[in-house]
Amino acid sequence: MEKKLLKKDKLSGIVKKLAAEKTVYAPVKDEDNVLFKILEPGMEPLTSFANTKNAPKKVFFPHSELLMKYTRSPKGMVFAAMPADAEEFVLFGARPCDARSVALLDMLFDQEKWKDPYYIEKRKKGTVISLACVHPPYSTCFCTSVDGSPTSTQGADLMLTDLGENYLVEFLTPKGEALAPWFGEATAADAAAEAKKQAIAEQSAAEIKKKIPGRAIKPILDVSFEHPFWDTIAGKCLACGTCTYVCPTCHCFDISDEIKGDDGARIRNWDSCMFPLFTKETSGHNPRTSQKQRWRQRLMHKFKYYVDNFDAIACVGCGRCVMSCPVNIDIRKIVEDISKL
Amino acid sequence: MQKPLQQIVAENPYVPMPVEVIKIITEVDSKDIKTFRLAFVNKEDEERFKYIPGQFAELSLFGKGESPIGIASSPTQKGYIEFTVQKAGVVTSALHEMEEGTLMGVRGPLGNSWPIEFLEGKNIVIVGGGFAFTTLRSLINYMIFEENRKRFGKITVVYGARSPGLLLYKDELEAWGKRGDIDLNVTVDKGDSTWKGREGFVPTVCKEVAPSKENAVTVICGPPIMIRFTLPVFFDLGFSKENIITSLEMRMKCGIGKCGRCNVGSKYVCKDGPVFSLAELDKLTKEY
Ligand SMILES: Cc1cc2nc3c(=O)[nH]c(=O)nc-3n(C[C@H](O)[C@H](O)[C@H](O)COP(=O)(O)OP(=O)(O)OC[C@H]3O[C@@H](n4cnc5c(N)ncnc54)[C@H](O)[C@@H]3O)c2cc1C
Ligand code: SF4
Ligand code: SF4
Ligand code: FES
Repeated sequence: MEKKLLKKDKLSGIVKKLAAEKTVYAPVKDEDNVLFKILEPGMEPLTSFANTKNAPKKVFFPHSELLMKYTRSPKGMVFAAMPADAEEFVLFGARPCDARSVALLDMLFDQEKWKDPYYIEKRKKGTVISLACVHPPYSTCFCTSVDGSPTSTQGADLMLTDLGENYLVEFLTPKGEALAPWFGEATAADAAAEAKKQAIAEQSAAEIKKKIPGRAIKPILDVSFEHPFWDTIAGKCLACGTCTYVCPTCHCFDISDEIKGDDGARIRNWDSCMFPLFTKETSGHNPRTSQKQRWRQRLMHKFKYYVDNFDAIACVGCGRCVMSCPVNIDIRKIVEDISKL
Repeated sequence: MQKPLQQIVAENPYVPMPVEVIKIITEVDSKDIKTFRLAFVNKEDEERFKYIPGQFAELSLFGKGESPIGIASSPTQKGYIEFTVQKAGVVTSALHEMEEGTLMGVRGPLGNSWPIEFLEGKNIVIVGGGFAFTTLRSLINYMIFEENRKRFGKITVVYGARSPGLLLYKDELEAWGKRGDIDLNVTVDKGDSTWKGREGFVPTVCKEVAPSKENAVTVICGPPIMIRFTLPVFFDLGFSKENIITSLEMRMKCGIGKCGRCNVGSKYVCKDGPVFSLAELDKLTKEY
């Protein structure tokens, strides 16, 4: 794995040059928010920001995605066409937690038996450049409690760490190495740079004061599905679904059909386990009739079911749901309370 | 360049295989349950669609959507697959409007299946109620197929419907009744003037038939209320939870464990189920 040093003022130019050749999603300022957008000429990619309002998962798993097209024939509607294959693209500036979320989604969408070709196609074509957190950006960050760290490389193809005057450029995968020509101005990294990065990693992780017992609650969850505790957590919840939409690891979706004249499309849209209709059957039967059950599902999915199925917690500790919930429901508090059951 | 559809279907589990509706049978006198016989448009798809009784498929109507439906035919029946569908919402109503000759789509086979290897060499008790009899019918036809029959011991069937007009597969029931190698017990809650068969609820009939637990497995499918009252009968007869097998239903979309809709605890009903033994269900949460 090659490592290089890049003068900091060179980075923005490199990203813009990349954007001239292929699609680059980068964090850009949008009114009061920082959002991932396709970098167009004249736009400035941010290299110093806290984190984006939304997770970048949409580049691999869009909010709304065409699955196939169909058309009318004399004998009924028939298949017409697939969406075009994805083109090569770069996701620039993902925080390590968000890069990790992609590795977590791979476990689900790229399973041995059932593969999701839409997601996998975009994963093949997309290169992830992450920006290590030299200081954790928010007080709500808790990546270190859920197997991550502010300098985790999981899910990234190339990681940049701000060492002061230079970035340490780590080429992590063959896809990352394929970007080396763009980093031609970078020079070989020496042991001092390496040591500095190590110190930053330790310092940044130590700055995250909030610790929750991420893995430790799994054995408790194994036996507390019926615990009265669940009655206490969802009282305020509005079932708005914001927490699941901003979450980098939430992956539930709905499939629906849209038709106009003789042509139609089957599309998938993000859905949310927080919505009452999510599990409602045509007969009227609904296995989850209360918000308590839905919150239990969301928590269990992240901290128990995903661990059962993939030995990974489906939360990267980005804190977005904590910041976005209109009624201040805090998943960290819930996890802590569970650890005391 | 667009790839040929057969290749897309082979690579993409979301894309349905094209099928033609070759026969529609109205099963019940209330006319809201029909059996659809579908033939694959492409030979390759027919070969790819290798299924085992107990599996299901997504019936796909472009423009309307998809519905998961148990496969009602047996893999021993060649050249077509069958589904028995109750008219319920958007997709199933559109299906009921269809005519023979229409093209539609099928995605599958999906899910696990009745545990055929586990059932082999054992006496099999089939208990079905209402229109949930479909994948049990598949299993029965599979077991009584000439080459398969000797792999299974005694076959006992208890099948009930509310009235004679609501019994599915009437011709087949008659044919099975004439065979010497199935103990067939068809019952209705309430008969009519022409009904010469048994009257009574499924749990009661199970008690009367009293199948032996020796080397036996019960496969049960039906409305929740029937299951609730029938299980105690089998517990009383000494059947263990390992030897009672059933099939679950949850709202579904993808059918392949991705959309996150149909989980019961850590298991996805679409991918890890729909078939579970009671012993397996005991280990899951009771949210279904
Ligand atoms: C494994 C399995 C096997 C089934 N086998 C049969 C069968 O053999 N015959 C039969 O008539 N019905 C069967 N069902 C139930 C059938 O899937 C629903 O009645 C049907 O999906 C309703 O769809 P709709 O479009 O008509 O209803 P709408 O309410 O208009 O559609 C809602 C959509 O939600 C989903 N959905 C709604 N209810 C259910 C449900 N109960 N189960 C799964 N998905 C649902 C479907 O994607 C459906 O298209 C089975 C369900 C499952 C899970
Ligand atoms: S559950 Fe909340 S903190 Fe965890 S990854 Fe999702 S949005 Fe971030
Ligand atoms: S964001 Fe808050 S109110 Fe909205 S569904 Fe999530 S927990 Fe409930
Ligand atoms: S139907 Fe999508 S996960 Fe089971």
